[in-house]
Amino acid sequence: MSDLRLMWRNTRMVVLCAISAALYAAVLVPFKVVPLIPGVTELRPANAIPVVCSFLFGPAAAWGSAIGNMIGDFFGGVSPGDIFGFFANLAYGWIPYKVWELIGRGQSPISRSPLGILKYVIACLAASVLCADLVGWADNVLVIRPFAMLGNVIIFNNMVSALVLSPFILAAVYPRVKKGRMLYTDVMPEVKLKPVGIRAFGFALLIAGEGGAWIFGNLLSTGYWAPKFIPAWMNVAPYDKPVAIIVGPFILLAFAGLFMM
Amino acid sequence: MPIYLYIDRGTFVHRLHPTVKVFALFVMFWSVYWVDNPIALAPVGLVMLWIAQLTDSWPNFYRLRWLFAILVFTTTIAWMVFYRRGAVLVNVPIFHVSRLSLVFGVGRGIKLAELLAASVLFLSTTKIEEFTYGLQRIRVPYRVGFAISLSFRLVPLFIDSAVTIVDAQRLRGYDFNEGGPIERVRRYVPVVIPVFMGALRKANNMAMALEARGFGFSHEPTTFIDYPVTPADITAFAFLIGLGALYFMLYWTGLGGIGPLK
Repeated sequence: MSDLRLMWRNTRMVVLCAISAALYAAVLVPFKVVPLIPGVTELRPANAIPVVCSFLFGPAAAWGSAIGNMIGDFFGGVSPGDIFGFFANLAYGWIPYKVWELIGRGQSPISRSPLGILKYVIACLAASVLCADLVGWADNVLVIRPFAMLGNVIIFNNMVSALVLSPFILAAVYPRVKKGRMLYTDVMPEVKLKPVGIRAFGFALLIAGEGGAWIFGNLLSTGYWAPKFIPAWMNVAPYDKPVAIIVGPFILLAFAGLFMM
Repeated sequence: MPIYLYIDRGTFVHRLHPTVKVFALFVMFWSVYWVDNPIALAPVGLVMLWIAQLTDSWPNFYRLRWLFAILVFTTTIAWMVFYRRGAVLVNVPIFHVSRLSLVFGVGRGIKLAELLAASVLFLSTTKIEEFTYGLQRIRVPYRVGFAISLSFRLVPLFIDSAVTIVDAQRLRGYDFNEGGPIERVRRYVPVVIPVFMGALRKANNMAMALEARGFGFSHEPTTFIDYPVTPADITAFAFLIGLGALYFMLYWTGLGGIGPLK
């Protein structure tokens, strides 16, 4: 958590944050490739930017992802759900490098070994799922759209960009940024990592929280599971109250794990 | 390529204090949030139409006309799948077509369209400087506000360079629309890399220029822009409080609900 706060003291990181945000918005606004749900979301190459920036600029990319998404929303209309979209995108830009710091063990994110690819997929999936959970949960609780509709589309959308686009961009950009000493570890060497045990426990909480949120979010919002301990009058469409009560704590758990990493 | 929605007209809405505009956006969201019934949503919709006429924001609404239509349509359809309540009118696989699901779906669609309309009005009448000033007034730290305003400034530059690269690649015969959805995403690699590298080249110089100008020396830097509070701001504020209160009362009395459920 301290990295997200400390980066604001470093002018270079503030600039990298603005550049990450502007890049995200600049690719987000004009290039919307294939509509997935018309008017709601589309397959967009821009979703590759936060992942790439995360590996390069760390916490600056996390804030950049949040701000970039906010700018994108400003060009297409904002809603109350976008407040949660801000934090969901913060997590989307924050998780990849935090997870990589733990499971990467000093390996470069552009490594092409099977284990390296698996670790990369885990880092991207962890980021995509929490982003989707938070947006899906918020939209369902505000009765804007059901969790099952938005949550799954966001995971698919983010993963397509992270797996199809990001590796190519990273392979081209990472060596140059590293040579130019612009990686977040070079720009902000003062940030110290927590002990591995705490970070590993945080990672376990993150996975348990976001996995639980995703499973229960889908079951509840589609009406497949009606928990007995929730009053019957709450267990009716649009299932905003069960989703708020049951999925909310899992999301909090995931964020608690993320803060520990 | 025009990306900003701001339309410079100098109407009284344009001249309102930035904090009042941010508050107006909040009140519109608040009002729309509390009611479900399409009829109850009509008054706030009429207020927005009146403001659109007053501020001459129609070009932006015209620009986004398809988004409005698609938003209402897809939201109605989506809730007919997930809102499975009320007696079925027509048997359609997957969908639950009942009076209740239709009213609920259309209500949600109109609600989302009104949220979009509120943000279009806000962006049509508010400059970026006013928005960042509003953020500072609500105690967002200066450096965060600065990063947001710098990002807004950089977006058109990066979009221009991205569009130039797309045009250059098209001239060479590169087809961005070739292949399936995944392939079409992958085809943007030759666009994103040059934009990325161009942006990074600017980063170092930008940081040095900022520090040379004393960036970060003070937590509360001085500003040239001053926004005095006028009687129009107070009147608008009172009107917005009334509108927000009225919509909360509609919810509280059950008049904003859909039929016997509320």
